[in-house]
Formats: sequence, structure tokens, C-alpha cells
Amino acid sequence: MSSLHLKNGRIFDPANNIFNKNKDVYINDGKIVESLDKKPKVTIDCKDKIIMPGAIDLHTHIGGGKVNIARIMLQEFHNNSDNDYDLTANFIPSTLKTGLQYIEMGYTSCFEPALLPINARQSHAEMADIPFIDKGGYAMLGNDDFLLDLISRGADQSEINDYVAFVIKASQCIGIKVVNPGGINAFKFNQRALNVDENSIRYKITPRKIVRILARAVYELGIPHPLHVHCSNLGVPGNFKSTIETIKAAEGLPIHITHIQFHSYGNNGDRNFSSASAEITEQLNKIPNLTCDVGQVLFGQTATMSGDSMKQHANHKHAHPDKWLCMDIECEAGCGVVPFKYTDQSFVNALQWAIGLETFLLAEDANKIFLTTDHPNGAPFTSYPHLIKLLMDKTFRDDLLDQMSTDISEHTILKDIRREYTLSEIATMTRSAPARILGLKNKGTLSENADADITIYDSNINDVEKMFAHPSHVIKDGIEVVRNGEIKNYIWGKTQVIKPEYDQSIEKKLDKYFKKFHTIGLSNYMISNDEMSETIGSEININDCLRKRIS
Amino acid sequence: MPKISDSINLKNIVCPFCSLHCDDISIDVTDNKLSVKNDLLPSCKAKFEKHNRKIFNQQLCLIKGKETDYKSASDYCKKLISNSRETLMLNASSDVNISREILSSASKINGIVDHINSNIFLKNIAIYQRRGYMATTLTEIKNKSDTIILFSDNILRSYPRLMEMVLAPKNSFSINPKNKKIFVIGDKKSNVRGCSHKDSRITFINYDNKNIPLLLESLVSKTNKTKLSNQIFNKLLKSISKAKYLSILWSTSELIKYNKCEQIIYKISEYIVLINETSRAACLSISGNDGDASSMQTSAWISGFPTRVKFTGNYFEYDKDAYNSKELIESNSVDLVIYINSISSKKLILNKKHKNIIIGQPTTKYNINPDVFIPCGVPGIDYKGHIFRMDNVVSLPLSAVKVSKFQSAQQILRDITKE
Repeated sequence: MSSLHLKNGRIFDPANNIFNKNKDVYINDGKIVESLDKKPKVTIDCKDKIIMPGAIDLHTHIGGGKVNIARIMLQEFHNNSDNDYDLTANFIPSTLKTGLQYIEMGYTSCFEPALLPINARQSHAEMADIPFIDKGGYAMLGNDDFLLDLISRGADQSEINDYVAFVIKASQCIGIKVVNPGGINAFKFNQRALNVDENSIRYKITPRKIVRILARAVYELGIPHPLHVHCSNLGVPGNFKSTIETIKAAEGLPIHITHIQFHSYGNNGDRNFSSASAEITEQLNKIPNLTCDVGQVLFGQTATMSGDSMKQHANHKHAHPDKWLCMDIECEAGCGVVPFKYTDQSFVNALQWAIGLETFLLAEDANKIFLTTDHPNGAPFTSYPHLIKLLMDKTFRDDLLDQMSTDISEHTILKDIRREYTLSEIATMTRSAPARILGLKNKGTLSENADADITIYDSNINDVEKMFAHPSHVIKDGIEVVRNGEIKNYIWGKTQVIKPEYDQSIEKKLDKYFKKFHTIGLSNYMISNDEMSETIGSEININDCLRKRIS
Repeated sequence: MPKISDSINLKNIVCPFCSLHCDDISIDVTDNKLSVKNDLLPSCKAKFEKHNRKIFNQQLCLIKGKETDYKSASDYCKKLISNSRETLMLNASSDVNISREILSSASKINGIVDHINSNIFLKNIAIYQRRGYMATTLTEIKNKSDTIILFSDNILRSYPRLMEMVLAPKNSFSINPKNKKIFVIGDKKSNVRGCSHKDSRITFINYDNKNIPLLLESLVSKTNKTKLSNQIFNKLLKSISKAKYLSILWSTSELIKYNKCEQIIYKISEYIVLINETSRAACLSISGNDGDASSMQTSAWISGFPTRVKFTGNYFEYDKDAYNSKELIESNSVDLVIYINSISSKKLILNKKHKNIIIGQPTTKYNINPDVFIPCGVPGIDYKGHIFRMDNVVSLPLSAVKVSKFQSAQQILRDITKE
């Protein structure tokens, strides 16, 4: 392992409350250290450079069945012949290109938010083939028949906690996500919508109950990341009300609402489509345990991919090009892949763009809101530098609003918002805050003993979009992987996991259930630590839970 | 991995041989010999126990049919590769990790990669590359599907436990399994003979499956335009009308013999999409033979494309026609073909017009002697690995159940493409 000295840089380290302060950073054996005993092997002159911890993307679809379906379905878009890496489209990149493009932007850890436990082996194998970055997954629950059956039978919370903890361990994940709570399952029984307080036909339980029980399980198990929730009624005009009800369902326990832009729609006006960002951010600003990521829409061709087969099936008529796939999966979940082109000629798309930006700009605390496009659902992750510029530069975003093909000025308050994000806030929302909310103690910080995942930007570049798109150096695990914007070393990151405690007796119940109803056995459903490293190809790093389990 | 001298029982072993990949196999291993302990069908048991034969321990490397050692064989392969102007790496059966290595090796030698079954699976993919598609998986069919149509002439013989484990199970939690209705439509004699699972829920219907579109059209219009008797047609129609979750299954490897194969699959998909406007239905194309699902998935995440790619110095290019292995071989457009056959027992048909290398499981059959044959271990018997099941969603871990005398296909590929 090499030692490095980053000399004379301007530090942005929100976890330690350090903003724009000149300071040296020392690295030894992959960790940040206070000083070096010997002369460092490499010294990087960071005069006129900005130093931040490596960025973290806490919601990006980078591995699993749906991503691969989209790659195969939309291969006519794999024609980037001017690209150095490969032909794959930015919105459905190959694993190699995913790693290269993330690391070139200074991202060092990324998390797949919709990992089906039954498909975990594929998701991890795909992610293991992404170079450079650390990765992890949130196991999808809340539509699986086993859990819904437990809830409908009035099972004790403690038994549900055991099951949740088991699934995290079996699928080698770091969090729990629920997508359209109960709705994917209800779709299998031909329900086409499921509101927050509506009973599913089969199990006679509501999305509210599922969210409440899962949020409690996550809290009581000490899982650092709050329940990651894709709300009911994705993309439906007027859905902001069900989003607020979903937030309330957590009853004050930590909850993370994902791609909240897609769930912040009113149904006012002539077109029955309006912004409800003010109502949603009011909740965000006042509820302490609530966080969100935005899922910003940006214009262009992309592919929407989601576990929400109910809503993806309903949306397939908007597919562009006109093709799609939905799937019911293993009594556990579902998926839907629908290609889509966002255009500023569409009133709805233009307003979606504005709603996302309003949400960012009305959120008061950069610790509670995270920069995502729900890659690739709103836009590919490669558009993050553009999004950062939209947040940091009012003139830039006002100009884009003025240039839009569709006049949405009467439908958005965007021009009235004067706020411009600061570099400190960008550093917070892309570094320290996601690390904290994921329980990654050694990431998103330049503290002593933290992982030496570091991004160095050239502050002489006046255009922040260019600056964030092309860091001059990126250091991963103490190794200089990007130097002067060029890839210098290939390395492979780890899979970040947690292992909450559970009563082993749940495995006996599950074993019986699997033997009777499943088509594989429990032992082959589980992925061991050895399998991760020996066969799937990724070492794991086990992170601590917040506390001992509350029994 | 067990030692040769161990005497152990291994449970919940995944069978690598058919794409159902049953994972309940129990094996006693004594003196490195396998004995399957479950009450399995003889054909399933035999696939494991044949690995006790001497050839699985003694097969040597061959150069032009003459025995040689591994180093000589791999050195000769290197020479053939370095003399080749266009090399095709033809995946004839493998798991995910071997598929990964094939792509990695191709990137070192600017090779073309295709799978031996790509003609078949590209027809399935074509449907959702052009239109809508509603798919399902095995556990959904087992538990939720009250009406199942299996278009088959011979599928039940190829997947001996499909009926017992998935289509006609003892237990289902969303429906009363006793009320399941399973229609096996195709060559009735063959299907009855091939179905080892006797069950009153199964109705065998004799039908020429090249006329599937006509049957579906009749079902939509509720008018029998087929040669089926009205009694049988109405029974089928009634079950579909009452179905809460209809599943339609087929195997494209069977339908490919018809000129209108793609149209048949499209019509099935279109029918399912139509039913979903008001009710629930889904389809499943039974695939995954010879690890083709594993190859397709791996290729898609590594290159962006399902198969038929060529590494061109910087990245993989895809061309469905130009990199079609069958065409390349027949037109003599490649001068070296490397066959990778780690699992299958199917005979490889080599073309003597060019050089041939086989990296194959020890009993790999071939029509003419290849220039080099290097025996490799079988994933799931000799080496660990993982492989996709027929529904393209579930992948299962493969175990090393005996001590292998052979290198893994991955290691051989690494050795022969070492720069």
C-alpha cells in the first residue's frame, strides 16, 4: 500500500464541520492518518484544489435483473462509438463503464436500491464486475408473500424483525427497501391500484400497516439506514397526499422516501397536473426523522426500471420506443422496464424537471436531502454535474427555464426561489450525509482512520459543471486511481453489508416454508460470505448496526 | 472442497445438468465416488453418477487425437491463437464464471464470442426488443397460477421434474392446488410418454404446435377454427376464462423447427398482453439449456449485448449477423474456433476447414478430432460456480462435490490466452 500526502488543499469535510479550510491530508495503507512517519511515496500539490471525501450515491440502479433486461431490450442505443470505454448507452452502461464513469466523477461508493433477495446472486455478481467503487444493496421486502402472510396473521413484531434481519443477511445487503408497499403483490391478484389505507384483496392489509411494521423492524434491529420507501401511486397526479400519509405511517420512526420528485404531484390546473413540492418539503423540513432523495428528471432518452410492476404496467403505454417488459418474480416482488424519453416539449416532463429542483431548493437542511436522478429513471448518473450546476447557479437554471419549449412559468415557483447551493451543502448532500444515513462510519469523511476515498477538484475551473464532471484526482482505498483526469490504476471495491442479530429459529420456519412452497431450498437462497468472495467475486465489509437489537 | 479420502454426505446440492437446476440433491461421496441418495428419477441420478467412470479421472489432453500433457496442449493452443487472424470462442455450455472468463479471454485476443444456442434465445429476446412482454417465474407459477398451458412436444422428457416441482405441485399457497388445470398441448403420445408424473389435473391435448397462432386467435374470438374437437376447445376456453392467473410456457428450442417460430412466440406474448388488460396472465419461455441464460446475462452486463460480440481493441461490438457462429463457421470466416463445453453431453460438430480447440468436460463428444482437446472440470461437480435457472431470474450456487483431476475451464482459458 502506498502513502500519500495531499498538500495545501482547500478542505470540505462536513462530517468534521470543516468547510473551505487549508489543510494537508495524509494517507497510509488505505486509511487517512494524522501524519506520516516516513516521506510519502506520492505527494500531490493541491494548491488551487478542493479536497472532499469520495462521493456516495445512495440510490442508483446499477445491478440486477431489471438493469440487464434494459441493456438487452434497448441495445439500439448502445452506439456511443465516440466513447473511450464501450458502446453502451449512458443510461444503461456496462458494468465496466459504470465504474469508470462513477470514478471519473469522484464517486467512490454506490448503492443498488432494489435488490430482490431471490435475484441477489445476480445483482452482486454484476456489481462485483463494476471496477473501483464500493457497492451495496437494499433488499426489497413488503410484497413478498411470506411477510404479508405474517402480517395478515398478526405475527409478533419480534418474529417480523427476525425475518427482516435474516433476509438482510441471506442477501448480503445493507438496508431494506419497500416498493409500492403491498401493491406489487396486489397486482398479481389483479388489483391495479392500492392506496395507503386500502386493503389488498388477498391479505387484507394496507400499505400503511406494511410501512409501519417494516419501519419498526428496521429501527428495532438497529439497521442504520432508515426504511427506504418507494411510495404508493408512483407518478400519479395528486399522489403527494399518499406520500404524506406514507410518511405518517412510520409514526415518527426514521423513514427515507426515495425519488420523492415522482411522488410530489398535485392534480390542480387545467391539465390536472401540478407541483406539490411545497407541501412535501414542508414535511421534510419539520419532521426530524424524515430524509429523502430526489430522483431529478433531466431531458433525454432513458429507461425506467422499477420493482413497481403495478405502476410500470400501467405506464407502458407511454413507452418510448414502444416496447416494455413486466415480470412477476418468485412470490417475492416484480419488475417493470419501460423506456422513456423526457422532453421539454411535454408539459408534464417540464414540470417534473421543475418539481425536482423546487424540492431540492425548498429543503432547508442538506443533511436530509440527497442528490439522485434515480439513475436511470429520471436521468443517467452522468448528469449529476449538470444537476449540481442547476442547484448552485440561479441564473443558469432561470435561463434554462426561459428557453424551454413549453412555458411552465405559471406552474412553478422556481424563479421565485433565490437560493443557490453552496459547495459546503453539495459536499454535505453527496458525502457526509449519505455516509451517516447508511451507517458507513469510515466513509464520507476525512477523519483519522477513515477509508482514504478522496476526490480532488480543480478550483481554477470556473464552471462547476465541468469541475464536478472531471476531478483532477480520485483516490480510492488510498490508491490514486485517477490522476489529472486519467485512469491510472484499476482496483475493485468491496460490498458493504450489515449483519443484524436474529433468532435462528426463524430459519426453521423459513426452511419449512421454502420446502413446501418455493422452488429452491433455503440453503441455496442464502449467500454466504465465502460465496461472495470465492464465486461471486466481491469481498464484503461488515458495518456495525446502530445498537443491539431492541427485543 | 472435500479430500479424496473423505466419506461425506452432501445435501441441497444443485444439479448443473438441466436448466431446472433442482437443488435438493443429496450425495454420498466415498473415495471420490458419487452416489445420489434421493429418490430421484434414474435419468437425473445417472447424470451425477456417470462422473464415477474412469474417463472422468483419466482423460488426458490430446493434440490431433494423441495423448499429451497439459503444458504441451496449452502451449499448442497459444500457438494456434497467436497464428489466428480471426478466433471464435464458442460457448457450448458453461456457468456464469466461465462466461465471464470467456469474455475476458476474448478481450485479450480480440476474439468473437457466441453461444451455441444463440439462435434460440435471440428469438425470445426479440419479442421484448420489439413489443411488450409479461413474464413470470417458477415459484409464481407453482403458487399463483390456476391455469397453465404448456406448449410441448417433448419438454417433459427434457425437464423430468418440471411437472412434479412446478406445474402440478402438492402445495400452493394462493390457490387450492387440487383445482389447478394443466393443459399440455402438442404431440400427445410423446407428452404422455415423457411425463413421469401421473396426475389427474393434467389434460394432454394433441395439436400441431406450428398452428399455435390459430389456436390463440380462436381463443380470443371464442370460435374454434382449429382441428381440435369443440369439446376440448371449450374445456380449454372455459378454464382460461375462469383463470385468475394464466401461465403459458413453451420452449423455443422446440418451436425453432417452424419457419414462423418468431411469429408463434410473438402471438403467445401478444395474447398474454391482451389478457392483462383485464385479468392476470404471464408467460415463461423455458430456456437456460447449456448455460445459455448464464452466458446471455453475463454478456449483457459485461458488454451490453446478449451474445455475438467481438472485442475490437477497445470494446465489444455487437452484430447479430456478422458474429453468428454458425454462419462464421460455415462461411469459413474464422480460422480458429475454441469450443468451451464444461457441462453438456451433446456432440460438438466441428468443421475441418479451420483449426479447432475444445476445452471440454472429459466425455465431450465430437465428430472429428480437434487440433487440441483439453479436459476441464465440470462446474457443480468439480468446481464451484453459479448458474441461471430456466426463468432467467434465479441463479443458484454450484458446489464442488468431488476432487477434480482437471483444471477449471477458467484456468485453462487464462493459461492459453496469457500474454
